[in-house]
Order: sequence, then C-alpha cells, then structure tokens
Amino acid sequence: MNSITLQAKVLPSLLVGTSRHPLPSELIPPSSSSSDGTLEMLSLMGQALRFERPSTPESFIVEPEIKDERKIIADGLRRPLIRLLTAKNATEHPARALARAFDRLRLRPHPFDLPLIDAFVRSNAEKLGPTAQHWADRQKPEAETRSYFDPELLDESNWTQPMLSRRVAYLEQRRRDDADAARTLVESTWAQEEADARFRLLQVFQTRLSMSDQPFLSRLEKDRAPRVRALAARFLARLGAGSENPALGVCLERIKQSQSGLLRKRSTLQIELPANVKDQAAARWILQTFADVSFGDLAGAFKVTEKELIAAGAKDEPLLLALALIATNEHRLDLLELVVANLPNAWERMFEAGLDTLGAMTESERQRWEEIVVHPYRKDVPTAYSLWDWLHRITDAEAPASVMSIALHAKLLTNVPEHERGSGPWVEMIAAICPASQRQELREQLTKFDRSQTVTPHALLEILDGMENARTHV
Amino acid sequence: MPLTFERIEALAPDQASLAAARKLLKPSYWPTLTEGEGLAWGECQGSGATPYRVVINEADAGYKCTCPSRKFPCKHALALMWMRADRSAAFASASVPDWVKDWLSRRRGTSNEASKTQEEAKSKTKPSIRLTEIPEAGADADPKAEQRAAAARERNRLEREATVLAGLEDLDTWLSDQAQHGMANFIAQTAQVCRTIAQRLVDAKAPGLAVRLDALPTRLFTLPGPARPSAAIRELGQVHLISQAYRRTSELPELLAADARQAVGWSVTREALLNDSEALRVNATWRVFAVVSEPQPDRLRRVETWLWRQNGTDGMPQCAVLIDFVPISTAAAVSGYLVGDQIEAELSFYRSTFPLRAQISALKRGAEQSSEPLTLPDQPLSASYANYEHALAQLPWLGTIPLSFRMSSVRRNGEQLYLYDDESELSLPLHTSQANHASPLASLDRIDGIGLWNGYEFTLAWAETQLGRWLRS
Repeated sequence: MNSITLQAKVLPSLLVGTSRHPLPSELIPPSSSSSDGTLEMLSLMGQALRFERPSTPESFIVEPEIKDERKIIADGLRRPLIRLLTAKNATEHPARALARAFDRLRLRPHPFDLPLIDAFVRSNAEKLGPTAQHWADRQKPEAETRSYFDPELLDESNWTQPMLSRRVAYLEQRRRDDADAARTLVESTWAQEEADARFRLLQVFQTRLSMSDQPFLSRLEKDRAPRVRALAARFLARLGAGSENPALGVCLERIKQSQSGLLRKRSTLQIELPANVKDQAAARWILQTFADVSFGDLAGAFKVTEKELIAAGAKDEPLLLALALIATNEHRLDLLELVVANLPNAWERMFEAGLDTLGAMTESERQRWEEIVVHPYRKDVPTAYSLWDWLHRITDAEAPASVMSIALHAKLLTNVPEHERGSGPWVEMIAAICPASQRQELREQLTKFDRSQTVTPHALLEILDGMENARTHV
Repeated sequence: MPLTFERIEALAPDQASLAAARKLLKPSYWPTLTEGEGLAWGECQGSGATPYRVVINEADAGYKCTCPSRKFPCKHALALMWMRADRSAAFASASVPDWVKDWLSRRRGTSNEASKTQEEAKSKTKPSIRLTEIPEAGADADPKAEQRAAAARERNRLEREATVLAGLEDLDTWLSDQAQHGMANFIAQTAQVCRTIAQRLVDAKAPGLAVRLDALPTRLFTLPGPARPSAAIRELGQVHLISQAYRRTSELPELLAADARQAVGWSVTREALLNDSEALRVNATWRVFAVVSEPQPDRLRRVETWLWRQNGTDGMPQCAVLIDFVPISTAAAVSGYLVGDQIEAELSFYRSTFPLRAQISALKRGAEQSSEPLTLPDQPLSASYANYEHALAQLPWLGTIPLSFRMSSVRRNGEQLYLYDDESELSLPLHTSQANHASPLASLDRIDGIGLWNGYEFTLAWAETQLGRWLRS
C-alpha cells in the first residue's frame, strides 16, 4: 500500500467518517484481531501525510525595486533607537527629532527594524527614505503606490521620482527661481497626482503668486478634491481674478480708519470686532477672517505701503495679530519682523489664534520665523509647556541656536511650574529641539534632575550625536 | 558577563515592569547599594516600613527580591540591573552578607563564578554539616526501611502502569469514535472533545498524551481552515502510534521505547538524567539561536532554549534544546539566555532515538554575547529537510526540529511568506506570526540561517544576510 492508495481510498473515509464512508475492507490489516483496523489506517494515513512535502505556490510576488541611496543607521544605534521609539509613555517629540535627523543626514533605519518601529515609520515615512516609504505603503492598493527612488540631486527630469516632501521642497525652490517654469512642471504631472500630492504641490503657489498663475488656478475650480478647490479659490480671490476678493471686503468692513497726531496727522487703523465675538475668541476670529487676504491687497485698499500699513496699525493689537498672521501666511518674514517689533507677544497671540501650519516654508524660513517670534521675550521666556509644544509642532525643526540659548540661559527647565518640572514631555521636548552645538550645555542642566526623569532625553541626545558622527565619518 | 539593556529588556516580564523600574532609578529609593564577588545587592524602599532586599548576579542575570510581587523579575530587581547596566549609581564594595549567601546556596544552574561563590556560601553557611559528614554515614541507614521504600516505589510504578494501560484503552475508543464521525466533525467540536479526553488521560496518569491532546485545538486553529482536517489526521494518527508503541515497549529498540514512555508522560528527573552514566554527553561550545516561550493548557509556560553546537562534526548531536516549565502566573516568559549567547558546557541528553532535549550537566564558561556567525553546515534547505524526513522515519512522533539552510530566499505569495530553496524548489511556509517581522527579508536575494520546523510551519530564527544578521524577535 503506498501513499497514493492511501490518499485515494483511506483519506476520504477518515475525512467524512468511517460510519458514512467505510474503509475498503481489502485494506484492513489481517492481524488486527482486537480492532477493526480503523486506528491502524488512521496512523498510517497520518504518517503518510507527515511525509508529504509542503506544496510550493505556483508563483511568488515580485518585490518592487527600491533604489535607496541613503546610508543605513549604524548598528550600534539600532537597539537604542528601537528602545526609545517603543518606550511606554514616550511623547512624540523624540520621534519628530529623529525623523528630522534621518532626513537631514540622509540616513535610513535598518530595513529589519521597520516592523519594530512601524508606528514611527508610518508617521514619518517621507523623511525616512524610499525603503521606509515602501514599508509604510505596503497595505495600500498597488494603484496608489508610486516608484521608490530618492535621487540625491533633483532636476526637471527626475523631480517626480522622490518622496512628496522632497518634491515640494524642489518645487518651492523652482518657484523662487522661476515661478512660470515651476508652474509648467506642476501642470505636466497634475493629472497623475493623488489628492494629497495635488494639495501640497498647490500650496507652493503661495510663493510668487501672480496673474500668470490664474489660468491654471481657474482650471482647478473643478478639481475632484474639495480642499484643492478651496485652496485654488483662495489664491484666485487673492489675485482678484474676475471680481473683488470677497474676503478683503469683509476685512475692510471691520477696519476703522482715523487720523491721530497734533502737529502731523497720521492715519491709524483699528479692528472693530463684531459684537458677538467674545474676547477669548477674538484671535480665532482674526485668523479665520484674514486668512485669504494678502498684505499687498490690504495696503492697497488703504492706499499705503506695506510698512505704512504696519505703522498705521501699531497701536491696535488685534490688527497687528492679523498682520502677523498674513505675513506668516505669505512667508514675508521681513514684514513679520516689523509687526513683531510692535507686538512682542506675537508668539502667544498666534498660538491663541490656532495657527496650525507654516505652509510650505523651508526649514531655514521656519527657524527664522521662530527667532522672530521668540526673540522679543529674551529672559522672560514663557514657561507654559503648551506654547513650546506648539512651537515645536508648527516649525518641525530644531530650535535656532539663539532661541536655544534663550531657553538655556533662562534655565527654562528649572523655572517651569513645579508640578511640571522634570516631567517627561518637558525634558523630551527640550532635548528634541536642541541643536547639536548646545547639547552639552543641555546635558549639564539635565544633571539637576533625577536620572529616572532624564532617561529618554539622554538616550535621544546620544542617538542624535551618534547619527551625526556616523554621517560625518562617511 | 556585564548586564546590558538588551538582556534586561529580554528578562522583563512586560513593558509596565520596565516603566516601573525606571521610576526606581532615583538614588533616594536605595538606602544601600553594594557590590562584590560578581553580585550586586541593595535595599529598596518600597511602600512598606521595611525596605525590600534585592540581589542580582551579573554573571547569569540571576536575581532575588523580598517583595511580594508576582512578576519575575520584579521592578526592584530590574531597577538594580538597570543601575548596573548604565552605571548611573555608585555601589559601595563590601563582603557578601548572609542573606545573599543564603540565596546563593539555594540556587542551581549558575555560571562558574557563581558556582564558586555558591560552594563557598555552602561551606560558610553550613560548615558544621560538612565537617560532620563521614564516608560511612550511609551505614546507619536502615536496610529494611530501604527495602520497604523500594517495594513501595515498585508497587506504585506497577499501579501506574496498569492505570496508564487502562487509560490507553479509553483513548483507543475515543480515537475510534473520532474516525467514525470523521475529521470534519472533529474539527467542529475539537476543543470540547479534546478537553474531555485530556482530563481522562490526566486521571490515567499519562500527562504527556494529555497535554498533547489538550494543545491540539490551538495547534489546529493556527492553521488555515482547509489544512485542518488533514492536520487532525496527522495528529490523531501520532497519538495512536504513541499509544501502540507504549504497549509494545518490550518489542522496541531501547531508545524508541524510552521515547514512547516519555511521550506518554513518564518523566525523567534532572537528577536521574545527570546520574545516568549511559546518557549521551556532549562537551562543546553552544550558541543560543532561538528562545521560544509557549503557554500550555496546564497553566505552565514552556520555555525552550535552542542551542547550536559551534564546533565539531563528529556525529554527535549538532543542536539541543533546554526546556523549562514556569507557571504562567509569574509572567516570566524568557529563559536565562539571550539569542546570540555562547556557552561552553557539557550537555546531557535525554535518551532518545533522535537526541535533542538536554540538560546542562557542567557549565564551563557562562553566557557571553558573541557577534560571530553560526557555523552552519554547507548544505541547502533540501538537504536539511531530507535529514528531517530520515529522523521522522526513525521517530514517527518527532516534534519540532531545527533545520539549517544556505542560499535560500524568503518569497511572498499573498500575505504568506515562504522559505524557498531555488535548486530543489522546496518551499516551507513561514509561521504566520512572522509575516510582518520577516517581511523585509523578502527583498533580499540569498540568506543563510536556521529555524524551527514543526511539520506545518517554519519559524525562522536566525539569518545571515547581506544587510547583516536578522533575528527572530
């Protein structure tokens, strides 16, 4: 009796039951006097099945080709990295700092570690290189995935290949150099882009927005994604295309113009809040009302220059806040600096307003923005965690050295309210924003806390040092 | 061997324990912190009036704490290890106190240095007993009492034999019933029927078969639906084979008879194994390549430490497994060893046609982490699989065994990963729990490594790749 006979004659009986499908009598061993031979057949069949080799699938999936030119993180940093990113109660600050470091240093996590730091990879895939991007996309339908290339240098021939964040950064630079050429690039790939990419690429039009963008923006009024349609409409409104910007009209209704001064009359501007807007909601109302207005339009409406507009609103805090938000929106850091000179608490006021993005600002612009809003405080730097947390989230960058100096010299960590002193979020956040040049000074300040409170910040600083050293020694 | 964070993480029963230990890193919690002779000990101020006494052995990560925690190691032991690992606290030097010596004297299976200290501890704490021992002490034993005890043992053995045989008759009836009703029906009510027969087999003093049948539903339900009926035939067929082999031990070769008795549930104690002069002993350098922890239905956790022999191809076993059973309630889920550890030891193997399970009879050098690759044989997966088939022919109820491989690849079909040998086109499905973790291997060309094959799924344990070493987590 061989395996084929057993498969053909015995297996069906055992599967459906020998009572319904009796075993063939000729197969029953003659020596089995004590039983009907069923159990012997069961053992024989079982053993025959054990000797069957596992079946090989007809085909295997061909894994996509990934060209990842980034260097893999040093072996010695892998375990500490995993430990830090999977620690219980860890805040998002270390993860954000690490993702930035991966991006800036063009490093990538070890592919074997991706399953272990899955949540981190999913949240920061764009900053971790094509291999990580592929890992994060593995559950997506094939149609929604793209090629996984990350060339070191981008030009017009390969700018569509890398991850979206690099494409946006490239396009942003192109808009500065040649806005029309940048628009042509976007137009050439627009139909193939998914909604998220379309929205982020369109945000770049903020830079050097001009009437030559109008035909393209007009076509976007029928885009499939509502947020793309809304953003295009805002840009068109700002251009005053076709009709007057309705948002500008609403703003002008709320700005009261008057004259002041005895010898030399000066024009002054002041926002009159609607009666139904309470004081605590004023900042949010300003953010919403002035979102679609440009500095140039506002100045033009009052027939003054941009600088004169700031001077005219210098005595009115709500108007200064509005101007700070507009300047931020338009990446006009020169104007923001002038506004903040009259509104030293712009940081707190913009936080109250609920500003949640710096748009497509480059990292250096974001750091400059941070300097502008923090510098007026000098030694009286705020000690509210929510403000620093917001600053880190919105800039998503290391603090500029001058800002970190303010925090360190003010001994921020020891001056925060007692119940928050040395708490995980505080020390982790400060470590996450600390630039390399000031890590030693921060370490010295951390020695004043219990070791149990500074395990994560110390580990983060060690890893960041390790990543930077490994990169400089390549 | 210095304590590392990796070792501490591996020892920790859960993440919460690590988090709790971290809070205890404050020096103010530790009125005393002392070190000496490879040990570190201290007192940790807990919620009670009396501080807990904690001691750790750095050589083998042994520990003891007087706190009432049911977690092992507790947060106090973990915190003490942590402080040793990151050298953040100052430890005073001192001689080993009595309570530490007492702990050492009650330990077993320690490393060389610890054993030495243990011997010293024994000699110091119980000197009078040592000194009063004389070779003729046994002469005082009562020979009649000895004879009575031996007779009682023999009577118990015979009684158990009879009980087991009666239980096997019940088992035959049960198996016949399952065959009569068919495997499709068996799968539908497997949990209930297996539980019933397992309880009867426990009563019949055949715990080996009882555990095998109690675990059967879990094993079946880890497999894809269509594979379950044939898997049930395989498993029930094995049970019948064991039962028949047990009845015919006198007709079987000695080693196969020993296998049958062990499979039914006649256990061999560690002491009996170590005293067995005929037991196979292999003195070698061993490398830990996998640690597997599985809860069992009998509320015990089975912790397997798989070892690979680094030197010698002399026909002696190339691998071994150390098996420990710990209560699930203690939450201890790991062995004392980490994957990658290397030990120099003499292993005593339990008698078997295919010797695999062993005990450390003499530890010559304690565990040390090594970055060296495993000395795998230069053979493809197909050759290892052929060895498995040969072993299966010798021991029909062979369980999980290690398979090494060279130049294989991990391939994907849908969600399922396979270890694939190009030459022979043999493909072994990877354990479903590894679908995520082993996924990055699918983009690599060729890998060498070792894993555990249970007849259904392959658990990849260790792989050397062009991107470095991959280890099962």
